[in-house]
Amino acid sequence: MALYAFVPRRENRLLWGGALAAALLVPAVLRSEYVLNTAVLAGIYVILAASLNITNGYTGLFSFGHAAFYGIGAYTAAILATRLGWGFALTLPAAGVVAALFGAALALITLRLSGIFLALVTIGFQEITFLVTLNWIALTRGPMGIPGVPPPALGGYEFRGNTGYYYLILALDVLTLFVVARVVTSRVGRAFVAIREDELAAQASGLPTFRLKVLAFVIATFFAGLAGAFFAHHARFVSADSFRLDETFIILTMLIVGGLGSFLGPIVGAVALVILPEVSRVLAEYRGVVYGLVLIAVILFRPEGVAGVPGIIQPRGLLARARPAREPVA
Amino acid sequence: MSLLEVSGLSVTFGGLAALKNVSFSLEDREIVGLIGPNGAGKTTLFNCLSGFQAPDEGTMRFRGTVLERRSPDRIAALGLARTFQTSRIFRRMSVLDHVLIGLHRHQRAGFWAAVARPAWVAAEEAAARRRALELLALFEDRLLPRMDDFADSLSYANRRRLEIARALATGPTLLLLDEPTAGMNPHESAGIVRLIQAIRDLGVTVFLIEHDMKVMMNASDRIVVLDHGEKIAEGRPDEIRRDENVVAAYMGRRGARA
Repeated sequence: MALYAFVPRRENRLLWGGALAAALLVPAVLRSEYVLNTAVLAGIYVILAASLNITNGYTGLFSFGHAAFYGIGAYTAAILATRLGWGFALTLPAAGVVAALFGAALALITLRLSGIFLALVTIGFQEITFLVTLNWIALTRGPMGIPGVPPPALGGYEFRGNTGYYYLILALDVLTLFVVARVVTSRVGRAFVAIREDELAAQASGLPTFRLKVLAFVIATFFAGLAGAFFAHHARFVSADSFRLDETFIILTMLIVGGLGSFLGPIVGAVALVILPEVSRVLAEYRGVVYGLVLIAVILFRPEGVAGVPGIIQPRGLLARARPAREPVA
Repeated sequence: MSLLEVSGLSVTFGGLAALKNVSFSLEDREIVGLIGPNGAGKTTLFNCLSGFQAPDEGTMRFRGTVLERRSPDRIAALGLARTFQTSRIFRRMSVLDHVLIGLHRHQRAGFWAAVARPAWVAAEEAAARRRALELLALFEDRLLPRMDDFADSLSYANRRRLEIARALATGPTLLLLDEPTAGMNPHESAGIVRLIQAIRDLGVTVFLIEHDMKVMMNASDRIVVLDHGEKIAEGRPDEIRRDENVVAAYMGRRGARA
């Protein structure tokens, strides 16, 4: 059925197997450092958008703090690697766990709020995180950032060069998407969607909504932390500017363009919006205009997202007149 | 011990008393109606019982357990389920998924089980699905053929049926139905009366708000009447029909108040 369309499962294993095989062949076919570097960037955003989809897409909790958790993961990995000499095999899970702890703490404090109030508090958290990383110089070196993060290494093998980075981020993408797919097709994911659709009715039906919302936040922020750890070891340098509110909006835009609450949405959105500015590079200063026009066109003509579930967004007001509501698809 | 004992329940909204010192009890396997003119406090009473409204005074005991200060999900877990006056369906979830949401609390698979998906999770999900199909079958051919459709494609009457199916799936011993026949034609309403009786035969006590007097008189063993937040009468349908206070509350009082 439509809600679970495109989620990897037995029926469409050929499709997903094919997609994975194609992804594995990319470095062999496109022997271009530039293409691979862009692909690595897209891979990071796939994790960020797919994890944000758990809260903002499936559970209907509008968080605007995703870049903060991405940053917390990146700083955790950078600090542990440069000060304590931890390897990537340890900094990666540690970054996820620390980000998830912050996610749980924020969730416990704020999830009594909903809608616009939750959104505002998460924006506040985003700004506080930025200011703390900028000013807690003893821990974060403040505006100087943390250079000299070693490249990722696992079991004695050091990932160097774009091909290595590409396969590493691909593995992390597969891990993230596997967990997301398993969660959204489970009893837990069904409960997330029920909370999005009508929280009161979900509660009256016996769902422990508060606990479930905290869980959604923990899952989403854990993977943001993982993406942060990869970023730190890949860029070899972290600084507070990389994880500001505009970064949250980039991730959120990818999710909305791809399709909120759709499994395929964040993948398509992340890949498309990393590639779009690259291919429109020829347009020089008009690049931003093209980007903006594409966003407006998607929101006007396909509000459920490029790879979204038809009928999942109900157009209202001006949009309802611009585009008649579709019949729900069974 | 009664299934539900309510005593001295009062709720005030900024000086306006929505419920004043209401007391009554419900027994096992009863069908009890709750009637009263608009604004009498019927839905407020349901909201108190299901944990959506904290009473200012009074006690509510369900199978001996105190209900006050308990969240709606914990009350549902005790076996007290409800439907809503204005339909609250999950628009973009399938009919089958609604019933599975009701069955949620009878399943165990959490995050780790969802990710690792050992054999017992698949067995649990298959069992829940079988149970959901049984519950949908109670509604004859209204919901079962549409089980994979999004709920917002259902007719108004079917949405109300779906809400009852979802509430029933939680496995209640007491089911609160808030105007289950609203917007239905007489034929459909008669079907709901049969359904309510079938639900009672499953061992469930039904407490229902209803404006359709025919449904009320046919379905209820007993009726509780509220007016301006106060309980003004309680008794068998034929007694209520003749009760002076009830007639006065619905038709207006003649002469000075007693």
